[in-house]
Amino acid sequence: MFPGARDPNAPEAYDLSNFTVLVVEDSTYMSTLMASMLKAFSVGDIMECHNAKEAIEVLTVTQARSKSRFITNVDIVLMDWLMPGGSGEELLNWIRCHSKDEIKFMPVVVISGFTTEKIVAAARDLGANETLVKPISAKGLASRICNVIEHPRPFVNIKTYFGPDRRRQEQVINFEDRRKTTAEEIQVVKKK
Amino acid sequence: MKIQLIELPNRLLDKMGLVKKDDLNVGQVDPKGIAEAERMVENLKKECPAAISGYLEELTKAWEDMRDLPDNDERAELSERIFTLAHEIKDLAVLSDAHLTAYFSESLRDYIGETELNLEAQRVIIQAHVDAMTVVNKQQLKDAEGEMAEELKGMVKIAIDKYK
Repeated sequence: MFPGARDPNAPEAYDLSNFTVLVVEDSTYMSTLMASMLKAFSVGDIMECHNAKEAIEVLTVTQARSKSRFITNVDIVLMDWLMPGGSGEELLNWIRCHSKDEIKFMPVVVISGFTTEKIVAAARDLGANETLVKPISAKGLASRICNVIEHPRPFVNIKTYFGPDRRRQEQVINFEDRRKTTAEEIQVVKKK
Repeated sequence: MKIQLIELPNRLLDKMGLVKKDDLNVGQVDPKGIAEAERMVENLKKECPAAISGYLEELTKAWEDMRDLPDNDERAELSERIFTLAHEIKDLAVLSDAHLTAYFSESLRDYIGETELNLEAQRVIIQAHVDAMTVVNKQQLKDAEGEMAEELKGMVKIAIDKYK
């Protein structure tokens, strides 16, 4: 194959021109960088907020008016974790506890400067679909967006958790399964 | 019922008119777009040292204004400003592999954000961080290890340990 030639077996490039992505990031530099990267990925509409409070106001309007011809729905939220004036934790909690389906099921990618597993685990336990640790790279961001599009996990609703299924794959276990939940105790709901 | 499993339609693929048939991806983010975005990151990295210097100047000014204030609203506002600036510096330092700047700015941000400090402790700890960050910036030190880095870290550690 000639250098630069397209691999005939590679999947087609997404047309993201109808997508709206909300970037919630307090740093102007990082926010501008992320918006430019998304534009390079061909995302049609990019909205920027600088903290959780602003994002809550934007989402309340955009998602409530989902049938409006003039206000676009947000498709994916990219959020920083630590932000003065309303953190990512606060925003993610608000999203997953919301009464409206248009908000509570939204795909959320948490981007964090923290390198500790503790923060990644906290984001996952609050219902983040994906996490990405800074320094941000184009490949990393593209792969998280791709995962959100191609591999959305079903949502789990239990007393202590609401969010995407935290198990990413079926695991074969070679020992006695001690989980107490029986098939009758799992209710599968198909949303339209 | 113990567990509710909610299966959602794939709205995002629907939006692009794509249908998933098996486990393989039906599409990908345009590789040309990824390459262009990667170039943007590299360009921003070049701007980082100047941006960090600008933020550090602002941080030093905020600290000079705050240093001798009593415990009042103005002090709290300036403290929040220093927190934000340290956080901003840290992000840019991480992006541009300025590990030592990232180390001090993260440490400063965490001390302001998470610790209840009295005025005297704040004076000493913030001053030690500002001094260290100024030296790192002037000398353009990047590596978080090495003789000079260890000396600066030691200086800040003494200030922190004194008020632990």
